Amino acid sequence: MSDATLTSPAVEPVVQPEPPRPHDAGSLISMRNIWKTYEMGSEKVHALHGVSFDIPKGEYIAIIGPSGSGKSTLMNLIGCLDTPSQGEYWLNAKNVSEMDDDELARIRNQEVGFVFQTFNLLARATALHNVELPLIYGGVSSAQRHEMAKKALAAVDLTDRMMHRPNELSGGQRQRVAIARALVNHPSILLADEPTGALDSRTSMEIMDLFERLHSEGNTIIVVTHEPDVAARAHRVVSIRDGLIEKDEKSR
Amino acid sequence: MKLIRTDIYENLKMALDTLRANKLRSFLTVFGVMIGVITVMLISSIISGVDTTVKKELESYGTNSIFIIKFNSGIHIGRMSREERMRKDLTYDDAVALTGLPAVELSVPFLDISNNFFGQKIMISGPGKTSAAIAIQGTLPDFERAGTQIVKEGRFFTQYENDNNEEVAVIGSSVGQDFFPYGTPVGNEIEIGGRQFRVVGVLEKREQFLLGGGDDDQNNVIYVPFNVARKLKPSSNDVYILAVARKGMMDEAQDQITDLLRVRRQVPFGKPDNFGLQTAELFLSSFRSILSGVAIAMVVISSVGLMVGGIGVMNIMLVSVTERTREIGVRKAIGAKRSDIMWQFLIEAATLTGFGGLVGLSIGWLLTFLLRLVLPSYVPLWAPIGGFVASVGIGLIFGIWPAWKAARLDPIESLRYE
Repeated sequence: MSDATLTSPAVEPVVQPEPPRPHDAGSLISMRNIWKTYEMGSEKVHALHGVSFDIPKGEYIAIIGPSGSGKSTLMNLIGCLDTPSQGEYWLNAKNVSEMDDDELARIRNQEVGFVFQTFNLLARATALHNVELPLIYGGVSSAQRHEMAKKALAAVDLTDRMMHRPNELSGGQRQRVAIARALVNHPSILLADEPTGALDSRTSMEIMDLFERLHSEGNTIIVVTHEPDVAARAHRVVSIRDGLIEKDEKSR
Repeated sequence: MKLIRTDIYENLKMALDTLRANKLRSFLTVFGVMIGVITVMLISSIISGVDTTVKKELESYGTNSIFIIKFNSGIHIGRMSREERMRKDLTYDDAVALTGLPAVELSVPFLDISNNFFGQKIMISGPGKTSAAIAIQGTLPDFERAGTQIVKEGRFFTQYENDNNEEVAVIGSSVGQDFFPYGTPVGNEIEIGGRQFRVVGVLEKREQFLLGGGDDDQNNVIYVPFNVARKLKPSSNDVYILAVARKGMMDEAQDQITDLLRVRRQVPFGKPDNFGLQTAELFLSSFRSILSGVAIAMVVISSVGLMVGGIGVMNIMLVSVTERTREIGVRKAIGAKRSDIMWQFLIEAATLTGFGGLVGLSIGWLLTFLLRLVLPSYVPLWAPIGGFVASVGIGLIFGIWPAWKAARLDPIESLRYE
């Protein structure tokens, strides 16, 4: 919530958002005039002031911004962990903004692959079981789950570490397990929140190389970061400030 | 449906992992449940043991036997009423009169002369021992036909011996062993209240109820002819009657005996009987009503144990939910629904208590083996099944709140939880 509390107070936004267009049916992600408002006691705090943008399939995009910019709020919305107070969010031709809890869980399971700063693996489970977890919630049969998880681990070069627990793996390996977990269900987007924040620079490079490779294989990747180096690897950079899109530029 | 099944299996695996990771904590948590289940196992097996033993004991008196006493039958609790204490005695003549009833095979009176006129115990002595702690009953030779006592050695006394006041005795197996340690008692003399009685027969050993012994020893008994007993204790009218119904006429016999005794004892129409009939069946049913009271008490006691255990489980599950807030956040982020999280924690709680139940069952099982050294008993099937079901149920019930708390955690907040 730290982002929200630092956002501008409850005055109506000075900058009028661009007039909403109908959502772009061709885009993987289509956000139209998204508002997110938190009630802090009697005060209303707007974390997002009517954000609109599209992300086509296969893009590698970085979302940057200082803390308090609304970056995390936007990420939570993209990841379907939260719904906007106002506005429309279409993900893979589904209107996510009107979904209930269970539908959101299903969308997160099928369409979004999360990668966290601190990996967030289950400590007692093997790498393989960690990767299987989304499939369990997706209702995939045990045998099929095994196959898919093995394939996903192979894709991040961890075939020989499948039976290791997280505490037997290095930071980079853990993050690769997390990436395998994010990809195992073949989601529409890979959503990474500061994926290199807990890694040294050499390992960070490895992970960024891996992202590049995954992108070249056709995955849509969204990285939320405040590190310019990481953002520079993306092909499009969206800067957020005070709950609005400040800049949206293609770097390649 | 398929999804649910996968969930339960996966959740069970996860729950066992958690259990293994927190061995001591899990064990302490389910201690109450364990104690509850052990109680169920033990008490159910004690009840079953007492029940079968009493049933066997009663049946050895004959399923056709009817004991008639001047008091109300059944198991007395508290003091008798004044009316009951003041009732007139049953008599020898009553017993003889019952013999004439069509549904009655035989009827014999008993006169207890274990105590003399002054209430002191009558002394008995033989070659091996002198004692006063022996039941002495005067009866008629027809008693042998009731089949509840079998003569092992020698014979029962005869009607002739009774009619002629001959001082002869038939002794129980314990009396035979104690007073005649060397050689056979038959033909030898035993002194009862200062008179010499000739032993004519020794009875077969009877099965003992529980450990038996002392005054309750069914084998520590001497039977003498009724007339002789009457002479030893002339003023006593402490008579009770054993009647045996003809085969298949148990109900008729009881009705006829009741009708006849009401007439003989002048019970006005509409008033309750002033005597009691006791049969194995009646005694068993009144005994069982007491046992069922004990069983209810047991259910209450073990429920308290299980409830206390349940509170412990709820407590530890709440701790577990807090500790694993972040894990819950991750699970939700990768697609766990509220119901998935709910099930995960419910099954974890149920696994925990179910495990405690199983440990309790094993310990209880071992204890019932020890119990069998003193009481022939068995564990009724409902006890382990009920105990296990109850312990799993406790986990499910007391797991609901923690599981619900876990299920409604906000994924964003949970992911940020340190």
